[in-house]
Amino acid sequence: MTKVTIYTSPTCHFCHMLTDWLKEKKIEFEEKDVSKSEEYVKELMDKSHQMGVPVSIIPGKDGETVIVGFDKDKLEKALK
Amino acid sequence: MHDLIIVGAGPAGMTAGIYAARYGLDTIIISEDVGGLMNEAEPVENWSGIKSIHGFQLMKNFKDHVEDLEVPIKTEEVKSVAKTKKGKDTIFKVKTKNKTYSAKSLIIASGSKRRKLEIPGEKKYEGKGIHYCATCDAPMYRNKTVGVVGGGESAAQAVMLLAQYAKKVYLMYRGDQLKTERIYIKRMEANKKVKIMLNTKVKRFNGNHLLKNIVLQNDDIMKLDGVFVEIGHLPSSELAEQLDIKVVDKKIVVNEMKETNVKGVFAAGDVTNTVLRQCVTACSDGAIAAYGVYNYLNQ
Repeated sequence: MTKVTIYTSPTCHFCHMLTDWLKEKKIEFEEKDVSKSEEYVKELMDKSHQMGVPVSIIPGKDGETVIVGFDKDKLEKALK
Repeated sequence: MHDLIIVGAGPAGMTAGIYAARYGLDTIIISEDVGGLMNEAEPVENWSGIKSIHGFQLMKNFKDHVEDLEVPIKTEEVKSVAKTKKGKDTIFKVKTKNKTYSAKSLIIASGSKRRKLEIPGEKKYEGKGIHYCATCDAPMYRNKTVGVVGGGESAAQAVMLLAQYAKKVYLMYRGDQLKTERIYIKRMEANKKVKIMLNTKVKRFNGNHLLKNIVLQNDDIMKLDGVFVEIGHLPSSELAEQLDIKVVDKKIVVNEMKETNVKGVFAAGDVTNTVLRQCVTACSDGAIAAYGVYNYLNQ
């Protein structure tokens, strides 16, 4: 499976919960901190059509699944 | 069967857990998340002994403390609570999606939810220009023009955080005097990026895919890239109603021992009829409630 990409910000507690959860599940991910690059902000908006973090991009057979927020049920389903 | 179930893992619930463990009570905490709204406080500058700390970090410290005392925190959403009798004893049953937990006593520390403006356009642009968590989404507004609606401490915190990224921050408050601590008002007044607008009420949000502008009470239109709503909280007291606990204006009514009108049920923190909704007061409530439970179980 290609690596999961997540968009986060440093003071966002849902983002911390998401990274903790991914680490606990031993899922590899690339973290893009939107406070560090306007490019990441543009990417996040293009992919999720909104402006909130965290956002997870999960690659799959039928394309990418975009999950806004820290939603364990949705993440588990997309990562199956 | 446990001695005590604490519903909620914010400052009140976790402090109750710490005290209950030290009193030797077999305790579990059940909560959908750990830290509650305190996670969004940035910075916390009124926690005695620590000049400044991120709310999320403070709550992580609380969690470590609770776990060090071997009080389990079950991260599950509580669906319902019920009271049954077994002989002379009262037993409380707390149901989550997959399990039912039982205990001899209960502390409800379910906190509060964010209040929304409930005006046209708010729902449509949620996440698309309208936000409820500045600590999460402030970095999205680098060099943009944003507004904050509210007049309390969380509004002031959002303003100061946003001013680190945005080029201009308008604080809009419907009253004629801000309710936050003087120290925040001074900081906002000293920041050239910040403009405080008192007696200002937002009527509507407009845009296309994203928020474009807001309409004020006097029909003035302000072009804003983002708006952060920080207008206080509503107590999450729905569970209390299932046990016929006295609730007034959504706040659980407790006495000085944090006891409700239902024997064996205590409540602490933002969900109660407390006069100050702060981390420090929630912790105090939690400690007193645990002491109350200890006395109740040893009657």
